[in-house]
Amino acid sequence: MRSIMMQRFRWFPVMAVLLLLGASPALAAIQGVTGTTFNLTAKADHISTPDGGSIHMWGYALNNGRMQYPGPTLILNQGDTISITLTNNLPPGAGNVSILAPGQSGGTATGGVQGLITREAPPGGSVTYNFVAAEPGTYAYYSGTRPELQVEMGLIGTIIVRPAGFNEASNKTAYGHPETRYDDEFLFLLSEMDPNIHELVEAGLMNMVDNTKYFPVYWFINGRAAPDTMLDANVSFLPTQPYNCLPMTRPGGRLLMRIVNASRDLHPYHTHGNHHKVIAFDGRLLESAPGAGPDLAVADFTTSVPPGGTADGVFQWYAKAGWDIYGTDNGHDCVDGNGDDLDDSTYEYCPDHGKPFPVDLPHKNDTTFGAFWGGGPFLGTAEPLPPGEGGFNPNGAYFFMWHSHSEKELTNFDIFPGGMLTMMFVEPPSPPLINP
Amino acid sequence: MNGNKGFAIPGLFLLFLVLASSPGWAAITVQCPGDTNGDAIWTGPEVRPENTVCIHLTAGDGFIRMADGYLQYIFGFNDFTGTPPDQIMDQAMLSQQFPAPTIKVKEGQDVYLTLSNVGMVQRPDLFDAHTVHWHGYPFQTPVFDGEPMASISINMGSSLTYYYVAPDPGTYMYHCHFEATEHMQMGMLGNLYVTPRQDDLPDGAVLGSHVHHPDPDGNGPLPGDRYVFNDGDGSTRYDVDYPIQILAFDPRFHDASMNVQPLPFAMMRDTYPMLNGRGYPDTVSLTPPTPPDENGGRVSQPMNSLITASRGQRILLRISSLSTVEFYTLSSPGIPMLVVGKDAKQLPAYFTTNSLTLGGGESYDVILDTADIAQGTYFLYTTNLHNLSNYNEDFGGMMTEIVIN
Repeated sequence: MRSIMMQRFRWFPVMAVLLLLGASPALAAIQGVTGTTFNLTAKADHISTPDGGSIHMWGYALNNGRMQYPGPTLILNQGDTISITLTNNLPPGAGNVSILAPGQSGGTATGGVQGLITREAPPGGSVTYNFVAAEPGTYAYYSGTRPELQVEMGLIGTIIVRPAGFNEASNKTAYGHPETRYDDEFLFLLSEMDPNIHELVEAGLMNMVDNTKYFPVYWFINGRAAPDTMLDANVSFLPTQPYNCLPMTRPGGRLLMRIVNASRDLHPYHTHGNHHKVIAFDGRLLESAPGAGPDLAVADFTTSVPPGGTADGVFQWYAKAGWDIYGTDNGHDCVDGNGDDLDDSTYEYCPDHGKPFPVDLPHKNDTTFGAFWGGGPFLGTAEPLPPGEGGFNPNGAYFFMWHSHSEKELTNFDIFPGGMLTMMFVEPPSPPLINP
Repeated sequence: MNGNKGFAIPGLFLLFLVLASSPGWAAITVQCPGDTNGDAIWTGPEVRPENTVCIHLTAGDGFIRMADGYLQYIFGFNDFTGTPPDQIMDQAMLSQQFPAPTIKVKEGQDVYLTLSNVGMVQRPDLFDAHTVHWHGYPFQTPVFDGEPMASISINMGSSLTYYYVAPDPGTYMYHCHFEATEHMQMGMLGNLYVTPRQDDLPDGAVLGSHVHHPDPDGNGPLPGDRYVFNDGDGSTRYDVDYPIQILAFDPRFHDASMNVQPLPFAMMRDTYPMLNGRGYPDTVSLTPPTPPDENGGRVSQPMNSLITASRGQRILLRISSLSTVEFYTLSSPGIPMLVVGKDAKQLPAYFTTNSLTLGGGESYDVILDTADIAQGTYFLYTTNLHNLSNYNEDFGGMMTEIVIN
């Protein structure tokens, strides 16, 4: 399992080269582990928050490695029989621990001791869960032991089930139906945290936790609070938070959002740039009849996934701006062979081809620049910026904020900005144009 | 030291002269095709291009009064379309309204929205820029999306003109996205919606079982011949429409802002729930709350939420939420809600309900059919019942009335 993660890390320089050559591989692979037999260990550790905080956590570790938050994403194949053995290495006094996997089929548990909801791993002991990953989709797994405490402490992760016939190169769909096909997929595991609970647990005062006074001040996507969401995956200084959240696409690309609400609050997740089509909830396609595909899908600009629930959304971006987003002075073409008004490769909206930019932008002295502003309005053209400005967007990509619209959640313990926020970016379709 | 001081002041003065003479330095400028004097309207010899809308919004601070009489400092927008640019700073400072002015455009129109930052009079220490984010605008580009980290924002004393092609019809919303948590809690929020091309069909156009008849005087669609979407079958037609925006304030946050204190982000807790900028009973008052002296006695809460219709009419509620903290459930127990749209998209399958739950950034299009409803007064209110309050004043908050005549 560990070797798989190492392999993925080596892919990054290869993908960077391919981008420059103008090829179109997936821009990123979803992080996780594949297989049918998994060994997870529940153990304690700390995570870091961007305000300098360090929070005591309980989480699932792969094999006997370091705990991670969220737990390892398990990528399964439809129809496989899965076996997960959980070993309990939580600190003394923590009690038992377990795993629930809602939405899976034929679940049985052996070993361990009987708990309220399922069989549990006693301190130092193990329990084994078996189930069939019968239906494709996005699911969560989390502890069924004192979940009001243990899920808060970090014992939660994602299960992804690939549909039968899935093929990374030739048949990449979320649910088998062609309308669920995608080019890139990203996980959005949403959570919040009340550090008081973690301090009490760390001090050995677990039984003094009062959930009626729950008051979160940290918010996370994939276990990290902004701006750490936008760092690389597997950065060395966040060893217990290996996953990042930096969605990216190309014009016309289909981006699959796998949203998991790993928390007790609702979070209205908003995608700037375009609507996203919610095709499934809780691992079930929004279809009027089996095989119909997501014909009951609704395009949202903001989606609120219920606590403990999941949703899958397909996001596709191109511009219908009323002006030519590639500029009017570089001789580019808009070729629409199939009659959908869009260039067949760049997804430029041909009715806008050649239309000039409609306004004068203000004098640079009158403007505040964002770190992800490329210097100008055109996709693929980076324009000069005053010294010290920008710098996060050398290719002239288009960046859009994807975030919880409960704006209070865009903070890290009283500090703005932070929290449940990331930037999605649209890479230009071909190597970047540099405006001299 | 004395010698250095002697040079410093003339040096600064020269710097000021140089900067003041640079082109484009801190100017209120409106960009509106066909408009030559910068007031964003076409008068005299000025010719309005076909299908074009110009809007001039200012952004800054202001004061409102809550339903229990409490004064509240706000950031906000105001509509100064029609005011010459050299009068903007003088007239707009400290004048902002809550909610921001409602923007209503027709699908396909060319919209030029000039945003002028008139600064914060109550907070001269702040140099915040502002933006307009058209929330939910599909197929958007960063330059006009108004999200500051990926775009540009406009500094004090200057203007930025946004350009939109009014997109697919439905209910959107808009707000400032600069330091969003702060600026949105402080009130830079407003209603925004787009009407469909179907409203302008010729007389006699057949839509399913409905025949379209516009106003014979050429003033656009009549009640009953207006639609939420280009539904093709008239199923989203309505007689009267009301935008209803869910908003709420945390008075401690606003007071801290007014008093130049650290802002309590982590402790943010909204205790003034509102619809369209007022708490009940001000929501149903046709006269605005008494304007505060603090902003020069200007009306700053011009919008009520009173819904009136004749029995038999179909009422469209354009419901949106820009709450920064909580989800709210709005219920219409007396009149069923037919939900035809969410997030400015026509639903593939409508459904009937008595309540809807919205988080910040969500919108619904809801039709209340009063055909079988007896005359009288009904209520639209939050079933999060503790929010039927204006801070400590019971029986207020997020509630309005539906009066069927």
